[in-house]
Amino acid sequence: MGIFVFGGFMGTTKIGILYSTTGPYGAMGRDGRDGAEFAIEELAAEHPGLIEPVFIDPGANIPEYLEGARAMLRDHGCRHIVGTITSLARKEVLPLVEKHDGLLWYMCPYEGFEANDNVIYTGACPNQHLLPLFEYLIPRYGNRPYLVGANYVWGWEMNRLARELIGQAGGEVLGERYLPLEETAVERIVADIEQRRPSFILNNLIGPSSYAFLAAIKALGNRDPAFCPEKCPVVSCDLTECELPDIGPGVAEGQLSAAAYFDGLTTPENLAFKARVASRFGPGRRISSIFASAYASVKLCAEAIVIAGTDEPLAVRRALSATAHPSVLGPILIDEDTHHAALPFHLGRINAEGRFDVIQSQSAIAADPYLTGRKLRVPPQLRIVS
Amino acid sequence: MRETPNFKGWRASILHREDATTERLSRQLRLLGLIATTSWAPLCAQDLPDVILVDADQGWADLLPWAGMDAPRPLVALLGSEAPGRIAWAMGQGAGAIIAKPMAPSAVYPALVMALGIHQERKAALQRTQHLEERIRLRPLVYAAVERLIAARKVDEERAYAILRHCAMQRRLTMEQIAASIVAGAEPLPEAG
Repeated sequence: MGIFVFGGFMGTTKIGILYSTTGPYGAMGRDGRDGAEFAIEELAAEHPGLIEPVFIDPGANIPEYLEGARAMLRDHGCRHIVGTITSLARKEVLPLVEKHDGLLWYMCPYEGFEANDNVIYTGACPNQHLLPLFEYLIPRYGNRPYLVGANYVWGWEMNRLARELIGQAGGEVLGERYLPLEETAVERIVADIEQRRPSFILNNLIGPSSYAFLAAIKALGNRDPAFCPEKCPVVSCDLTECELPDIGPGVAEGQLSAAAYFDGLTTPENLAFKARVASRFGPGRRISSIFASAYASVKLCAEAIVIAGTDEPLAVRRALSATAHPSVLGPILIDEDTHHAALPFHLGRINAEGRFDVIQSQSAIAADPYLTGRKLRVPPQLRIVS
Repeated sequence: MRETPNFKGWRASILHREDATTERLSRQLRLLGLIATTSWAPLCAQDLPDVILVDADQGWADLLPWAGMDAPRPLVALLGSEAPGRIAWAMGQGAGAIIAKPMAPSAVYPALVMALGIHQERKAALQRTQHLEERIRLRPLVYAAVERLIAARKVDEERAYAILRHCAMQRRLTMEQIAASIVAGAEPLPEAG
């Protein structure tokens, strides 16, 4: 709990860092944890004693998330938790965060339809990822996609929305298939795709399922050039740099992913950020949007606590919504009603070096988590980067 | 569900004494794009909003300007009590969804979607029932027309019915309408061919 002294926050704030570094989405969890930890290290140099992290690793075990959040909120006295990757884990810890009037900093792309007062959403929702992605794809590749997804709310809702967008575009969904989180038997789906010959493939699979799928599509493209990425790309809204080593060199080359951040962005802020990350983690480290968002969330959290003079969630939320805060994702403004960040849209294409070439960017899009069209989008400033 | 439900621009009436619940509820409704007003007085039947959220803990019959379950608008009950009488009251007014008190903002959108879905389903079911009732009411006419065809064309009942149905289809009328014309003599008897 903070102490308010002469308008400045003088106490130590404990921030919970809740990521699973093992299990099907372990690569994302490790990047989230590293990003958060790196921010905490930088903050310790800047404001010694301001932040004390509490790291808990639930090991991709859903009940462990609840236990971890309980320990953070009740035993350690954290009011802020940065973390969770899946919507399943977020929904699990939310009631507890509400009960303790804490603030969960959720920084992953997700399927939308949520605006909880006890959450700050620094990850993108569909009007910030799927909608601009389809606006890009349909005129270029056609309106007859094939949809695959992990068998839980992320896959289901993203594909439902994709189906709606395709319907509005007068197209047709050629197939929709789901796999359990750790399932890697993708042969039947790939055979179906080969037969139906879609315009593109929306991949909402997670972790090893997704890696197996990308490898099988690569093999299919080698057999039949109609399925090479130039003709029929596999597109995602959550595939980032941190998973490319697990997918393997060259396997996903040419495939597309949407994100609010890519390592390959050439802004001065990002070049400086990359230099700092390289000196801490070594020059080979590729920064994913997960790493960058976790880093930005911890920084934003600390900054808002300093401005508010307290770690009390309502005051922190007000500080966040009052003005845009500079971040590695660009200036971040948290909407006071939805608690979502306005985020840029970048489309990346995986290159031979296992990085993303940014092929299209749009400036910050205000989040519209319930897709009401309530806020007009910031006029898109299309800019072809390469 | 294919289409994303969108309540943008909808008018919502919250019938509840103003308190922390109505404040949070209004905020969430605004976030979902609705225009919400709060009052604790009977609604005007001539100017109904698009959706109504009513306090089922303290609500009374005159609060809602309709009788029984045929709510003319989607209705959501706000309920803290677990008393069966209060639940029955909410159902009796035609509520299609419940939001439990103390209210979690995450309960609002699902309740609106559900209440709207139930409302549309009930409206469609009512129309279907009315249509079927009308047809049952006119069944004697069809029977009378079939009798005439049997006598005039010397065919069996099944054949007479087929003739009538064929004629209705050709003229794009219902069986009941064509039967009524025949029985009234306004229509020559259709040929057996």
